[in-house]
Amino acid sequence: MAFAGHIEALLQILTAGLLLGCLYGLMCAGLGLIFGIMRVINFAQGEFMMLAMYAGLTGVAVLAPGRSWAFATAMLVACAVAALFYGLGALTHWALVSRVSGARAVGTADAGHTGQLILTLGLSLVLQNGGLMLFGSSPVSIPNDAAVRSWTMEFAEGDVMLFVNQARAFSALMAVAAVLLTILLMARTGIGRQLRAVANNPIAALYMGVNVDRAFRTAFGIGLALTAVAGVCVATFYPFQAYTGFDFVIIMYAGVVLGGMGSVGGAFLGGLLIGLVQQLSTLVLPPQLQNTAVFIVFLAVLLIRPQGLFGRGVERA
Amino acid sequence: MMTITRRALMGSALAMPAIIHGTAHAQPSAIKLALLAPLSGPFARQGELMRLGAELGVEDVNRNGGIKALGGAKLDLAIADAGANVEQVTAATQRLAADRDLIAGMGAWASSFTLAATEVTERAKLPWVTLSWADSITERGFHYVIATSPPSSKIIPAALEPLLALAGKSVGKKPGTIACINDDTAVNQANMEPLRNGGFAKLGLKTVMDENFSVPLSDAAPLIQRLRRARPDLVLLGTTATSDSRLLLQTLTEFGLGQGKVPVIAPSANWGTPEMLKNMGTTYLEGVIGVAGNWSSKQQAALNQDLLQRSKEPWLIQDTLSLYGHVQLIADALERAGKADRDALMAALLATDTTEGPAKLFLGDRLRFEKNGRRANPVPAVFQWKGGKPLTVLPEADAEAELSWPQPG
Repeated sequence: MAFAGHIEALLQILTAGLLLGCLYGLMCAGLGLIFGIMRVINFAQGEFMMLAMYAGLTGVAVLAPGRSWAFATAMLVACAVAALFYGLGALTHWALVSRVSGARAVGTADAGHTGQLILTLGLSLVLQNGGLMLFGSSPVSIPNDAAVRSWTMEFAEGDVMLFVNQARAFSALMAVAAVLLTILLMARTGIGRQLRAVANNPIAALYMGVNVDRAFRTAFGIGLALTAVAGVCVATFYPFQAYTGFDFVIIMYAGVVLGGMGSVGGAFLGGLLIGLVQQLSTLVLPPQLQNTAVFIVFLAVLLIRPQGLFGRGVERA
Repeated sequence: MMTITRRALMGSALAMPAIIHGTAHAQPSAIKLALLAPLSGPFARQGELMRLGAELGVEDVNRNGGIKALGGAKLDLAIADAGANVEQVTAATQRLAADRDLIAGMGAWASSFTLAATEVTERAKLPWVTLSWADSITERGFHYVIATSPPSSKIIPAALEPLLALAGKSVGKKPGTIACINDDTAVNQANMEPLRNGGFAKLGLKTVMDENFSVPLSDAAPLIQRLRRARPDLVLLGTTATSDSRLLLQTLTEFGLGQGKVPVIAPSANWGTPEMLKNMGTTYLEGVIGVAGNWSSKQQAALNQDLLQRSKEPWLIQDTLSLYGHVQLIADALERAGKADRDALMAALLATDTTEGPAKLFLGDRLRFEKNGRRANPVPAVFQWKGGKPLTVLPEADAEAELSWPQPG
């Protein structure tokens, strides 16, 4: 009986870690893509995710007022929100980020990093407080039945039971699909080749006729779109408000660094690993030390592989 | 035609200070109170609810003629944002304490926030009224703190005793085992300390699970899986953030333990907020029992109705009701003190002993305070979700509905 209990706990925690890790991975992939191509650390990524959550909530409220179809609608809305945030990302880059990155930062003492830091941190504060003024302080979520439903699996004649939450499972599948699409886009399309060229060497890419500024804008847009999809998925099972982005942003940074700066797949796997460590640590440590366990693993990995698990040393991916 | 001479002008100029002075005497200067509440950050909603209560309280005192003992002086509320952490609380309180016109303050919601704020206000000798629960708030030998809620060490045992007795009557067997899942905030750890140290044993309960987590919870499945294996007769969920409350209840439901299968007792006001209903829906909340420092009373139905209309909230919870009560308590003490002086006000607050006026705004009959500033014989409020509303079920004199032991339906 006790053995069955341990097996059940292990299976449950592994499932929780995998499902949550996929969403962390998607968030990390968005941030990792922006950093990998533009070398800009977007401190406002969490706040853009928060905005996407509200956009998802509004979309679902308009299209599916009832709970029964809310989850399926949320998944469709996530795609629409991704497109919207691609546009928002491109606009933000054109209006703000391009002023402190790319060609304009060439020749500055720190390659524009101080400006980027101040701009994205400032943007994060503006979005947080703007969100509070616009949406209020009440935590909200996308009301749906999938969040309280699970598939139940029985093993060892019912001694071991595994519950798989439907909202988290579909959200994890959505996350994997979004990352695979991005990897395909990067590997198999013309725009992907341009993005990789710009990531490797922006000056050489410029000489080869690549519009570096447009490539940066595209990267920023895709990065926000990926995080927006993650935001809408999370909003189906997690109450959020204007400050929710901050809860996830540390995980995003850790995942990107752990996976290897500049690699989309690496960032996804970094996020997945964080999800797994966060949950698996509860097998041996008290649950309040979940995030401590994450950062112990984070430091251990960096000690052995400073470039991250899937990074390529000083080379750009 | 009137001629304005130099002499007349000089005379008018000389008379002006006397005229202004006279006007100032006719209009007594406003009495400044501070409200320190989290108005930004993850607890901003609770801060908004507090602000609502304090503003309504000030509005009512001023509408009824201000502080009569001080010539009808009006109350003036200075609002400060406590932010999201103790460092921000300390900085905000230091700014407040520097204002020598302040007579008293209220806040700061979370016990950890109030502990930090009162470190500063005690040095400034600024009377501070709070709804926070942690025992330590009034056990540091401070002289300028008033706490109107029951302390952590008493609130859960006082609520559990009648609940367990009712369970015995309803299902024929008194619950014997309990599982506890708490966040690691000051208030929930303070709540648990006496229970862990013999409190549960005194109530005849055996702890089969006792886990803590850090806010925010990323996934409740590992905790609820353990709870399912432990098979408790009831579960105590101590959470501060609505997101954690929802995740825990959602996962309980998902694991087939919700809707009364394992009765839920939640010692936190956030379980009775309108947001919980919006996020969870009526079905999943039905029967959940919450414990708080204050809640609405059937004895104050008319006042509650008036406050509801003005606040535009669907119902009022501890954070709004207590802050409304705090303003009335300070106003009552100012009437008795007869002067706008911090020490005189504190002495009057400590000397409060009434069953009328501000006493009606807190549950229980009589409002008086012990020497340390904690309310004497406080009564915890027990509410239960019934038909999509968290109704007061205990104490019986204030109950809006009858308490029923949750059973799977």
